[in-house]
Amino acid sequence: MGEEGIEPFEFRQCTSILKSTGMKAKNLRELRDRIATASDDSIFHHTYQYFLKGHILEYTNDFAQWAGESLEERALSEHLSNVDPYAFREISDLRQELLRVIDGYFSVFPEPREAIPGDEFYFNETVTLIFPVGMRARNLAEFLMALKYIDSGSIYYHFYEARVRLGSGIDDFSLWMEDALGKRELAERIRAIDLFIHSIEGIREHLTMAIEKELRKEMEFPGVER
Amino acid sequence: MITQYAGIAPKGDLLLLQKLGEKLAGRSFLHINSTRSGGGVAEILNRMIPFLKELGIGARWEAIEGNSRFFDITKKIHNALQGNVEKITDEMWDYHLEINRKNSKEIDLHADALLIHDPQPAPLIEFRKDGKWIWRCHIDLSNPQKDVCDYLTKYCKKYDSAIFSVAKFAKALGIDEFIVPPSIDPLSEKNREFTDQEINEALLKFNIPVDRPAILQVSRFDRFKDPIGVINAYRMVRRYNDSILILAGSPATDDPEGEMVLNEVREFAANDPDIYVLLLPPFSDREINALQRVATVVLQKSLKEGFGLTVSEAMWKGKPVIGSAVGGIPLQIIHGVTGFLVHSVEGAAFRIRQILNNPEMARRMGERGREYVRTNFLITKQIRDYLAVWYSMENKGRSILEL
Repeated sequence: MGEEGIEPFEFRQCTSILKSTGMKAKNLRELRDRIATASDDSIFHHTYQYFLKGHILEYTNDFAQWAGESLEERALSEHLSNVDPYAFREISDLRQELLRVIDGYFSVFPEPREAIPGDEFYFNETVTLIFPVGMRARNLAEFLMALKYIDSGSIYYHFYEARVRLGSGIDDFSLWMEDALGKRELAERIRAIDLFIHSIEGIREHLTMAIEKELRKEMEFPGVER
Repeated sequence: MITQYAGIAPKGDLLLLQKLGEKLAGRSFLHINSTRSGGGVAEILNRMIPFLKELGIGARWEAIEGNSRFFDITKKIHNALQGNVEKITDEMWDYHLEINRKNSKEIDLHADALLIHDPQPAPLIEFRKDGKWIWRCHIDLSNPQKDVCDYLTKYCKKYDSAIFSVAKFAKALGIDEFIVPPSIDPLSEKNREFTDQEINEALLKFNIPVDRPAILQVSRFDRFKDPIGVINAYRMVRRYNDSILILAGSPATDDPEGEMVLNEVREFAANDPDIYVLLLPPFSDREINALQRVATVVLQKSLKEGFGLTVSEAMWKGKPVIGSAVGGIPLQIIHGVTGFLVHSVEGAAFRIRQILNNPEMARRMGERGREYVRTNFLITKQIRDYLAVWYSMENKGRSILEL
């Protein structure tokens, strides 16, 4: 496919400024009650935006991390880590799932101890700023080059945040590759990357590998339609 | 100035700074604190003001004037907010307000946005004229003396918003409360790259031997920094590992207790030739940079801490850091990854020994620490966050802002 008429991919980025809600929980029961009443923005921050923080991943959301690190309730943290926020269309559904997991834990395990003072769970929200990176890609090679230079906040915006923004559970990158470049297979490979298992830098590596493989294929067999 | 950070700070931070600068150019931004020298706030303001000006923002920095009585009171308030038991009488609070009233007549308080740093100038809100008023709290408010915190809160609630360094310091004030960690400047004299010759020149006067591992703590001589605990940890280490200890700190003009603590430390060191207690004059940035670069391991064994920027400073120089799990230190040290978090003198001693005996692990921690600071604790990010807070206050009620 020639480059004429191809819609270029415009890289954007998002950054969040943390806001405190003033709410905190010192034990699991309080955490449960606060999750039930916290703002949608707060639930969003502690689940979807977990990946923006660049943690060394052992968990997949703040609730799971707190249960594991501060309450030392490993089984609960495993259950909470298994909650996939992208499987829910509405925050209210995600909230109900979190509550269901915690209630299920209460029904089987004894009441966990309280967190050490100072180690409570603090409910936060964010103000998110979205801005263009000033970089665009007109083909896969340019995209690969840009991918090496963009900040992790840009990968988060297009690979994680897009799934909520577009409401279809699909990331911006694979959507462009399929729609603008007609590369359905590559798009499928990118959609198969597990966004919970990798840090953002890990996602960058996997994207790079998938695109390099595609480009190499094109270079080895020029002119072959795929 | 902004171009100097290209290749050092994350690109996205610099881009966003420019975008926010375009939105806020020509507006005035006044910072007020209580000292022009000593402590992390003054250091950052020294660098931040020219940066903001270059973005086209009319930035000003004023320090309130006070006498020793005023600073004795504010030191007590500071200690009480960090959990010490202090008696602050009505008369003392009145004097606190009175000195701020005097300063309000001397300082031009007209600005589009005002960032008031810490409790000393907090009562200035009583004399507000126009603009958005933001109270910036740099200290550890996680376990304050209630009556002192409640009194101060009366002022804080009158601000349009507040900024805390760590989420757990935030209080339910009923106003917007943002979380912005403080930062270091990678280009300042305290953090820029040094040649070996520059290091040697800066340290010549201290006669510090370089043939043994050096354990270093840089901080004001303040009981909250636990210099005595550091000496105790060092004495445990020395039973196993030949090394020297360096305790270095500058006095601050707003801290009347500094000299007393320094004397206690000197007495406790008891003329041990391997313990170097260095009282550095204000603006000894060159010496601190050089000390951090020759150190084998850096400590921040605070009992209470606002944020503990010396941790990020040392991490930026690729040093493994051992810090107490207090205040903002756990936000900088990921235990076992970018350093070690400890909870006791014994813990500090054990981790020092572990690092002294594992140079490869120390190197790896140092590398990860530097990258962690690059993405989270550089001045470019802090300025970005301050401008973002101001911009979001102008777009109140919106949680997503497109620039």
